[in-house]
Order: sequence, then structure tokens, then C-alpha cells
Amino acid sequence: MRKISLVSKASGSLLLGPALALAQPLYSGDESWWSPEQAGTLLPQSRYENSTGQLEVLNATGAIPTAGHAFFTPLGSNGRACVTCHQPSNGMGLSVDSIQRRWELHGADDPLFAAIDGANCPNLPQQDASSHSLLLEKGLFRIFLPWPPKNLDGSAMDVEFSIEVVSDPTGCNTNPQYGLESENPTISVYRRPRPVANIKYLTELPHGVPPHEAFFYNDKSLLPKDPETGEFVSMQLMSDGRGISLRNQARDAARTHLQISGELTEPELQQITDFENQIYVAQVYDNQGGTLVGEDMPPGIGPQALRDGAPARLGNNPINKIFGSFAMWLNLPIAEEETDGQRQQREFRESAARGAEVFYARRFLISDVGAYNDKGLGNPFNRSCGSGCHNTLLMGMDLAPGFMDLGLNNFPWANNRSDLPLFKVTCDADAVPQSYLGRTIHTNDPGRALITGKCRDVGATMTQQLRGLAARAPYFVNGSAANLRELVDFYDRRFNIGYTEQEKQDLVNFMRTL
Amino acid sequence: MMRLLPYIVIFSVVFSISAQDRSEHAPGTHLAFTACPIARSTGPDTDVCFLAEYQGVRYVLNNPPDWGKPELGHQVLVEAQIVEGALQCGALPLQGRVSVLAELDSNCNQILPFDGSVVGQAGGIFNSGTPQQRKEALELARRAEQDPSLSVQPANPETPPPEPPAAPFQPQRLIIYFPFNSDRGSGPDMLEVVKLVQYANAARAPISIVSYQGETLLSSGDRVTERTSIAQQRGEKMQDILQGLGLTAEITLRWVDQPLSGDGVADWRNRRVELVVEL
Repeated sequence: MRKISLVSKASGSLLLGPALALAQPLYSGDESWWSPEQAGTLLPQSRYENSTGQLEVLNATGAIPTAGHAFFTPLGSNGRACVTCHQPSNGMGLSVDSIQRRWELHGADDPLFAAIDGANCPNLPQQDASSHSLLLEKGLFRIFLPWPPKNLDGSAMDVEFSIEVVSDPTGCNTNPQYGLESENPTISVYRRPRPVANIKYLTELPHGVPPHEAFFYNDKSLLPKDPETGEFVSMQLMSDGRGISLRNQARDAARTHLQISGELTEPELQQITDFENQIYVAQVYDNQGGTLVGEDMPPGIGPQALRDGAPARLGNNPINKIFGSFAMWLNLPIAEEETDGQRQQREFRESAARGAEVFYARRFLISDVGAYNDKGLGNPFNRSCGSGCHNTLLMGMDLAPGFMDLGLNNFPWANNRSDLPLFKVTCDADAVPQSYLGRTIHTNDPGRALITGKCRDVGATMTQQLRGLAARAPYFVNGSAANLRELVDFYDRRFNIGYTEQEKQDLVNFMRTL
Repeated sequence: MMRLLPYIVIFSVVFSISAQDRSEHAPGTHLAFTACPIARSTGPDTDVCFLAEYQGVRYVLNNPPDWGKPELGHQVLVEAQIVEGALQCGALPLQGRVSVLAELDSNCNQILPFDGSVVGQAGGIFNSGTPQQRKEALELARRAEQDPSLSVQPANPETPPPEPPAAPFQPQRLIIYFPFNSDRGSGPDMLEVVKLVQYANAARAPISIVSYQGETLLSSGDRVTERTSIAQQRGEKMQDILQGLGLTAEITLRWVDQPLSGDGVADWRNRRVELVVEL
């Protein structure tokens, strides 16, 4: 990796100002991509440009030499490493901008586009961009899961529903080799990779909300236990909850995404999870708002706040407001002879502070959300984004943990996605139905139900952290929001909130700072 | 005038009830009925409340914490006793249980907009908990205004672990009641289960589980019965929970398939699991 001179690159932005005083290197453009097997050092702190500003990556344990490091080394047959899909510059996730840039540079030869899951289906002509359209356009990887699902111990599961393919634009679910009727029946759904950072907030069990350090909020069954440790696990790691620990997730990812033969070795597993447990990412600079961290700045911004913060606490109270106070950015003084740059910065900060308040306090009727309203909360439930589903201090996931059918996957709420497979789920007559859709459900992705076999879980996926958003568009599990404005518009439409244009922009600016 | 509005509306509701036959709605009367819940907005910053109408009278739908609030899109089974007290949610107060029925009912879709007649009570750390906790929350808020770094420190206090059980040990009995056709206990109930396991482990005593399913005699004279497998499901789930929480001693499980017959008086008590620490 080539380090970009801080002065030569960073000074291109007149607004950078205080960032110049910092010692972190700044990477931009193609140089910010970390290729598998690329020898180098991931510094204790480094910054990466994105479309709205800069993200900082913080290694709490110090510099990470990457040569031979299991996270950065291709361990399987397709040339990918973990870092391929969890790029530091993309907040340890992967943006569609980066994906498209890789295609422009290397086409299908880049391991990112490996046929196994980087193509819409492995049987398609791999040199054609159209065969990778879901990855190139929406940042979606193929997730292939056994059908019917099995219990965690590999035993047969009593599945409450049948599933049929209504439309199959990728061809994979009806393919005789890869589909539901194949020798190893498999269902293919398409999902965004989740950021591998700020992990302590994802793995720590909830604090201060007994008995939910041991119980799943929804049905008051016990949380699953990690077979290796015998300890309860949080289920916050993956959208469908199937990777119940970092080690479990790493093994699954090595087998499916890296196509490793055999298993990860113990030293490899240890190295991967040690790395994941110490890396923090967050936005630290905004092209309009200037520097976001430091004295007199909102205390929840930046990776240092995440490194130092207390994990797995509820933040939905008027002191924490999930991400801490932004009040110092409200009603900022106007400088005498204010320059355009100063005005732009002041207005952005004031907007972000208002957005924080909208996020935390502006309530709306949350209704008909499967696996959410029906977990005792009532339908409807009058809450804000922060006091409702995004309640974890500094991170914004649902501490519950929050599998829910927001309407991203299931009709009638889902955006019309002719690029995704459409399934018809028919639940058994004696199954508890999906609470607001009943026993016949059309869905692009059955979500959690592909792991539990439960009708009421159809379409439910786990809320995810809201940090480093600016670095990793598009958003939602299926990439349906190309940018933060589309994300806000989805909520506004789904819940008939009636945000004003100002509120929408304020929310976007607020989320840009996270 | 605005301050008087709630009282005027409350008066009008009471008046409309008094115009009917009050005998069926007198305090102490047991009711059991199914109905669509009605959601009522109580203001932009407070929770909705729920009510239901039965024989032309509106009753508020309340449950113990985390037992499950009503849901539009579903009917509810109300099993409760009319009690003395002020109107809640613009409706007569009840004491008992409200179960959300699993099947969809698209007719259950009524939301009463906020009209000022019923104003919700703000929740949150400034308005709930012990007086000491409220005082501490207000003090923390005051300090956080001066020092914003406090706003990213957890404001919700950690719950201290309970005192470990100590001898002499006595037999213990815990009864958990369930919504209709459901095996979901509430959070407070599960806290009691956690304590019971700690007690049994300290006493090195086994726990017996007996689970039941129930029937409800509706006020109309009809009967509704839970599905046949639910007693077993409740019992096995409780067994899994006890084991998962680390109960070291033996568990005995028995379930009763024959539903306990309802008599129209608090039939929600039929849907239960009994846990006994045997000494």
C-alpha cells in the first residue's frame, strides 16, 4: 500500500484545517485498497478519504504487520483474504464504489468477484459484468444456505414452512447444480457484508437489562451458547444470527467466501479474532463540517470514543441519546466576516446536531414490524429511531438483540427488486404465523427464518451498527438504499413519518458524522 | 379552556356509561371476551394506550410488564375483573390479563388520534425508578450539560447481582402464567426463574415442573381452548431454561394435556407452569 503524503493530498481540501496537525497518514483513491497478500503495516491510526470526508481506523493494540497475517492472507483457493471484503478504507466493510473500482481495474480477475459468491451464480460467464450485477450495483454477495436448515448441532430441524421460487433473475435458485432442487438443496439470497470493527459492542452480552444477558427478548428462550466456551452469545454478529461467535463466523466465512480446503488452524483463528477484537472505525472529518473529533466536539464521534466506551449498554435515554451529546454544535456563534467555508462548516454542524435530536427524539408510530412489535411492545409502538430500534450506546444496534422484519425483504413493504429472487413462503397451518403477514409471505430473503425454521421469523434480519456509514454505502442488508438520503426516505415512507425536507437533510448530515 | 378539556371528555365518557345498564359493568364483575384492540395516541412523545369495547363499553387493556401489549392486526382475549378507579386511556380500568391472539385480523386497525382528552405520562430515567434513581439521573443530566463527555458514559445504572441464597433453605414455589396459546414468559418472570435456579443450586435441590394448558369461559357462554401441545411446549421450554441457566440438580417434568376447565373467573390462571424446589 502506498501512503499518500498528508500535505500533498490532504491539502487539496481547503476545509481540512485541523486534520493537518494530526500525524495519521491519509489514504485515498485506489491506494486505499488493501489487496490480499499485500505486505505492509496497518498503522495504529490511519485515515481514509470517502465521498463525504475521512474515516479513521484505529488499531488499539498498535501497528499490525500484515505479511503472513491470517486476516490479510489468501487462505483458500480463490485468492481472497478476509480483508478483501472488509477493507479498512470502507470502515471494515465494502462500498459499492470500491467494488466498481476493482472491476474497472481488474475485471473478473480480481478475487473479489470469485464465482462462488461474487457472481450472481457460479454457473454464469464470469468475464461478463452482468454476471456480477448484484455485487457491482448493490454490493451484494451470494449467501448460500442449506435447505432445509439444520440445528446448530447439525441435527434435522422441524421447519415450519415450505418455500418455492416465484422468480429467479439470477438463475441460481432454480439451477440444477446450485438450486433448491439440486443434489444438495441450497437457497441463495444476496446480502451486504457487515463491518468487522467495533466488535466488543457486538459480542458483549447486554448490561443493565436483566434477564436479557441470558434471554432472547422476543420469546424469552435462552440465548444460544457458544459450544466452545459454554457461554451465552449476543447474536449481533450476522444479519441472520448464524455465526454465533467470532470463531464460528471466521470458520464459516473461510469455508464459504475464501473456499478454504479443510479448516482454519488454531493460530489462524486466534490471529483473525485478535485482530477483529481490537480494531475500531468511525468517521472523523467531514468535507463540509470539518474536523469532527477533538476538544469541544461531540464526545461520541471517532474511533477513540468507541475504543474507550462501555459496550452493550442501552443509550436510549435523554443523557446518552445513543451517540452522546451534539448540543455544542447547536446555535454556534457566527464569526465576524464569516467566510463561505466557515459558514458551510457552521451550518453543517448545526444541521448534524439537529439531526441527532431528530434521531433521538422525533417519535413515529412503528407498526407491523414482524419480530419487533410482537415481542411485547405492542402494535403500534410510538418511538424514535434511537429510542426504538437503534438503542445501543455509541453503536445504534438494537441491544435486544433485534432481529426484525422492517419491511426490507418482505412484501408489501419491500422496494420492488426485480434483480433479486422472489420466494413464496407457505407456513404450516399449526405454525405461529408471521405476525403481520400471516402464513403466506412473498419475500426476497426469508432472513432469520432460514436459520430458525420459524414462520414468524420470515424476513427478519438483525439491526446493525451505524458507525463508519459514510465509508460503506449502499445501506440495508440488501443494499436497497444507495445513499443515506434513500435510507431516510425508506423509513419516512415505510412508517409514514412525515419528516420535513430539513429534518431529512439533518438526519443525513448527522449520520455522515458517525 | 385547554386544561379543562380532559375533564370534560372524562365526564362525558362516564355519563355515557351511566346511561347504560351499570350492573354488567360494576366493579368486581369478571369479564372474558375477544375483541379488536383500539390504539389511542396519547401525545407525540408518549406511548399509545390500548382499549377494547365490549357491549358498548370501553375498557383499558393493561398487562403486567413485558407480558405483551395489544397489537393491531390481531384480536385480543381479555380475561379480567372490572376494578374501582379513574378512567385510564379514556376507558374503565380492568385487572387481569390480555392475550394477543396469533391469527391475523385485518379488521383490527383502529387508531384514535390524539385529541387532548387522554395525555400520556412521560417515561424514561427522569420519570421512573426509585426516587433516588430519579434524583441521580437528574444530577447526571445536569453534570453532562457542563461536561458532555459524561453523555457517552452509561446513564442507566448496572443492576447489582442479587445476594446469593443462604441456608436455612425452604421449599420454594414459583408459578408463571402465560398468554393464550403462548410459551413466552415475561422478563420479570424469567428473573424469578434465574433466582429460583440460584436458590436450587445453593440448596442442592431438584426442581419439579408441572405445566398446564387452559380453557376460558367467555362471558358470552362460549369456550375457547388452547392448542393441545402447548402444555408440553411450555414445560419443555422451561426445562431447557433451567438446564441452560445451570441447574445442577435433577429436573422432573410433567405436563397435563387435558385443559384446565374455565369458569369465567380469571381463567388466565389456568395457563401456567408450576416450578417447585423440593427439599
